[in-house]
Amino acid sequence: MIGLNHYLTLSAILFSLSVAGIFINRRNLILLLMCIELMLLAVNFNFVAFSRALGDETGQVFVFFILTVAAAEAAIGLAILVVLFRNRGSINVQELDSMKG
Amino acid sequence: MAILFQTILFYCFAVFLIGAALGVILSRNPVHAVMFLVLAFFQSAVLWLLIEVEFLALVLVLVYVGAVMVLFLFVVMMLDIDVEQVKGGLTRYAPLGFAIAALMVFELVQVIWVRGRFASAAEGFVPLPEGYSNTEALGAVLYTEHVYAFEIAAVILLLAIVAAITLTMRKRPGLKLQNIAQQVAVKREDRVRLVKMESEKPE
Amino acid sequence: MTFTDLMPASPEIVLLLMICVVLISDVFISDDKRIVTFWTSIASLALTAWSLFASAPEARTLLFDGSYVSDPLSQLLKLAAVGMVALGFLYSRDYLKQNELLRGEFFLLGLFGLLGIMIMISANSMLTMYLGLETLSLSLYALVAFERNSARAAEAAMKYFVLGAIASGALLYGISWIYGVTGTLQFDQIALVLEQNPAMNALPLWFGIAFLIVGMAFKFGAVPFHMWLPDVYEGARSPVTLYIASAPKLAALALVLRFLMEGFGDLHEVWQGMIMVVAVLSLVIGNVVAIAQTNIKRMLGYSAIAHVGFILLAIFTGTEQGYGAAVFYTLTYVIMAAGAFGMVILLSRKGFEAEAIGDFKGLNARSPWFALMMLFFMFGMAGVPPWVGFFAKLNVINAVLDAGFPGLAILMVVASVVGAYYYLRVIWYMYFETGEDTSVFQAKLDTRAVLSVNGIAVLALGIMPGWLLKLCIDVIQ
Repeated sequence: MIGLNHYLTLSAILFSLSVAGIFINRRNLILLLMCIELMLLAVNFNFVAFSRALGDETGQVFVFFILTVAAAEAAIGLAILVVLFRNRGSINVQELDSMKG
Repeated sequence: MAILFQTILFYCFAVFLIGAALGVILSRNPVHAVMFLVLAFFQSAVLWLLIEVEFLALVLVLVYVGAVMVLFLFVVMMLDIDVEQVKGGLTRYAPLGFAIAALMVFELVQVIWVRGRFASAAEGFVPLPEGYSNTEALGAVLYTEHVYAFEIAAVILLLAIVAAITLTMRKRPGLKLQNIAQQVAVKREDRVRLVKMESEKPE
Repeated sequence: MTFTDLMPASPEIVLLLMICVVLISDVFISDDKRIVTFWTSIASLALTAWSLFASAPEARTLLFDGSYVSDPLSQLLKLAAVGMVALGFLYSRDYLKQNELLRGEFFLLGLFGLLGIMIMISANSMLTMYLGLETLSLSLYALVAFERNSARAAEAAMKYFVLGAIASGALLYGISWIYGVTGTLQFDQIALVLEQNPAMNALPLWFGIAFLIVGMAFKFGAVPFHMWLPDVYEGARSPVTLYIASAPKLAALALVLRFLMEGFGDLHEVWQGMIMVVAVLSLVIGNVVAIAQTNIKRMLGYSAIAHVGFILLAIFTGTEQGYGAAVFYTLTYVIMAAGAFGMVILLSRKGFEAEAIGDFKGLNARSPWFALMMLFFMFGMAGVPPWVGFFAKLNVINAVLDAGFPGLAILMVVASVVGAYYYLRVIWYMYFETGEDTSVFQAKLDTRAVLSVNGIAVLALGIMPGWLLKLCIDVIQ
């Protein structure tokens, strides 16, 4: 029987994979942004599962807003990425080292 | 029988979901990563459908796959990233990343299955009443209890429009644009000059 | 719900309406009259401040089914935030004009950020807190990248964005666990539910709180989640740095107070240790690394990390005295930070950014009055009596001592002494070294007047800190 624990575990695996992805993809910004989307998906999984287990719609409302904000966030993140690419001609993280200290 | 079927479905989609997530973090080509992410969102939507969260499952496909992922693809294509340059194996942080992931999974499983108060909740979710509509239930609270949050979400979307346009709109020099107002406001005198001259007679 | 029921929320409503006015009017203004947008923004801030006074409820009021709270704490912090944003706009005007950056978007994004700050300050539910935080963060990302053809600004914005988004993810993951355990999103309900069910105080909840604190530390810029802060301070244009360094700190304070004081006040032992580690690391690393800096914006960035350490140590005590000290410290710190960055802006002119600490050399010869003002800000931040920073630090140390941690108090004193070095270096440069730059300041009279008032306030509050301190304690109770 599939229950809350299964969904929470799946979400935990997704969250951990996204954190691992952030470490692995330190070179490419666009992949970093995708790892962040994956992280938000894990969060949404948690909210959906808890909402169904508690029999309370608030968690689903929260997911609704996370989806809205994530869309706005992706738009701004990609806009910054475009600005960066226009200025430097690269989105390689290793070249982002003009400031040190 | 239905429960067994549901269990099998859950594990099928869960395996695909984890596979897709691995694909996202391991692929070197951004286009492949976007495709894997699309797959991950589809699997998630199906998993949400399994526990009767229909509205959000559909929104996930419509908003995420339909809009956000297309935006990602658009940017990947627009930036024209040199795939060869991006390739080149895992970084030296990869073992660290996987070690952290393994540790986190271990910790979380510990929290969820062993120490959590959720161990008793393993038997399933709250059964929904007959004739329950997920969309209706969400709509009922969204515009009443959460109207303040709803308004703030509208502000965030407005802000995103302003910010994205601020950052990316630029006036390129040398573009040939029409000035409609000037075109319409033009007078006959500006364009046509009547010259009086003697008609020439053929000799 | 009738219209008059919405009165306590009128500051937010007025600000949002004015944002729309600024947004639309800016479209119809030609580039050479852009200053009109500046004045409309200032008028919006004045209207917001007025509606804060006009709508102040007598007691704590909940609105929108408990997702909005209006209490004395929110009134105080909102008023300070409006004031800080107004200061930031005023200091930035001439700089933006000289650098041909005077665009309506700067003020618009600044006002959006302020709206986010106000939403956070008045949030009574984790949902509205998150949405307010995102409103603020998204405006800040865009503000940092505001100068479109600067590679450095774009780089800083990208770093800020990636780390900020990860922080939001961690914060949300924590929130999801807290929701799962307690079954509610409202801070007062969480406290109530936890009081009724002591069994909930177990590992899954602690797990959520741990993720929550990671997210908070990121947003506050506390060590070990501070990587973005110096780069953003350095990479952004000075007016943007001024904005980031002032009002958002008030929002971060509200974030921590609403969660830890109102939601988990009774679970003090659970989060105390984590906050202490983060605070002590910030205090030590912020002060030590600041010494090595040659860029004043970067130095002030590390100094901000050290100040965050103080604020978090005040919250760490978990007593009313400690919370009051945190509010007092944050309020006075943002006044000093706004002034210090105001000085950096004052020294800059077209094509020249006064970023190096060396640019302050010989300031006394150029303008004795503004050298004195900078001295006020530096002494204030260093915690030299009788400037206000001294009383802020003293209050925190007192609170920590009363909570029974003499070791931490000694550490704070030592860290302050170490920190005094880099503030005094700026003063040394101003008074005892000669600089090559002898140009006159181009700022207008009103900017100079406000900067002077800002500087004098740092001294005046230090001489008479009693009333503000009493106010800070009162709003906590």
